[in-house]
Amino acid sequence: MVVRLINERDRQLARQLVEENGFTFEEDYDLLFGKFEDGKLVATAARDHNVFKMICIRESHRGGPCLGELITALIDSCTYTDIRNFFIFTTLENRSTFQHLNFTPLVTHGNVCLLEYGHGLPNYLQQHRALQKNGSNGAVVVNCNPFTLGHRYLIEAAAAQVDHLYVFVVREDRSLFPFDVRMALVREGTADLGNVSVLDTSDYAVSHVTFPGYFLKEGDDRLQLQMEIDLLLFARHIAPFFGITHRFIGNEPFCRTTRSYNETMPDVLGAEGIRTIQLERKLSGDAPISAFRVRKALRNEDYEALRKLVPATTLKYLRSTDGRKLLTSNKNYRRRH
Amino acid sequence: MKIVRKAQAGTMQSSDLMVFLEPAPQLRVEIDSTVKKQFEHLIRRQVEAVLDRLSITSGVIRISDRGALDYAIAARLETGLFRACADQKESL
Repeated sequence: MVVRLINERDRQLARQLVEENGFTFEEDYDLLFGKFEDGKLVATAARDHNVFKMICIRESHRGGPCLGELITALIDSCTYTDIRNFFIFTTLENRSTFQHLNFTPLVTHGNVCLLEYGHGLPNYLQQHRALQKNGSNGAVVVNCNPFTLGHRYLIEAAAAQVDHLYVFVVREDRSLFPFDVRMALVREGTADLGNVSVLDTSDYAVSHVTFPGYFLKEGDDRLQLQMEIDLLLFARHIAPFFGITHRFIGNEPFCRTTRSYNETMPDVLGAEGIRTIQLERKLSGDAPISAFRVRKALRNEDYEALRKLVPATTLKYLRSTDGRKLLTSNKNYRRRH
Repeated sequence: MKIVRKAQAGTMQSSDLMVFLEPAPQLRVEIDSTVKKQFEHLIRRQVEAVLDRLSITSGVIRISDRGALDYAIAARLETGLFRACADQKESL
């Protein structure tokens, strides 16, 4: 029977098993499971929100029911959550094993494969069918924490170069401004632009699944691979659906992670037939406008500075009751995005 | 019967299936199966027979099948439906 591994001893056993299999034991999981036989741990698996990971089965127990039991336990642990689709990263040789468990491959890149359980991606695309437009379209993927005049400038400049521009707002809720607020401010701030549609990225771009490194600290060597998978998923599934031929980015003077994402983009997207266009950032004073700068000004309650950095719609929110509540959390917020 | 809450039944073992149920305004059946190419129509027929029998007319029903036989499909789906529906008395 598969059980939750809770105590330190069991956790160490799981760590041993994972490391014996040549993987790194990653601490960032929500739940850890294991299967014992005669007091010995024979299999283990973990779930980090909607990502299944560290699935390891002792050599002697492979080919039997272990994997099915582990996957059942992982799926069962999501029964009372709002998670409906699960993801797994695995190697090419194990891809078919997971396909036999009804996982669908989303991206295969070199020896690594990202698979999804459930119809998340097709459902996500179908939901936005009404937004499909003919022509040569563009895309920007933005976090907008919060929406600034810099974002506004990027979107306006990009929209002028294509038939239709899709603005994908990062769904992942790990930023100071909650997703609903970020989304609403982008919508309000671009409402006057006729050829712009605003939609969310769901799990499929710059998310916890496709690009966890964006939200982690810099300098992780898995980062490069994650970026490439994230971009390939965009190029092979999202871009064709919306007829996207151009992806726009602002140059990144501050954040190393974003900068290497931007540097990776032309090669990866280019190979898939999508052009990357980098635009210069809008300046205020003599420095580029960034959401980081906005949050800093907000922390100092410098509304004169804010007026020069954000559009009226965002400023109105920042001065509202809800907006002022965020001030308190902003005092302790130290992340880059 | 009417699906009023989220529920699921079954396992991902070989020759079994998992059934996921959720309330929704319309009826929608999604089928994933390792033998989808050959048997999707038979799985769907079996699912529809159970839904008919229990007069289910709305809800999202997701099937993730690993080659289960027809009676296993019926049994798992019934179990899931009993868990997902409010009034269990009038069933069967």
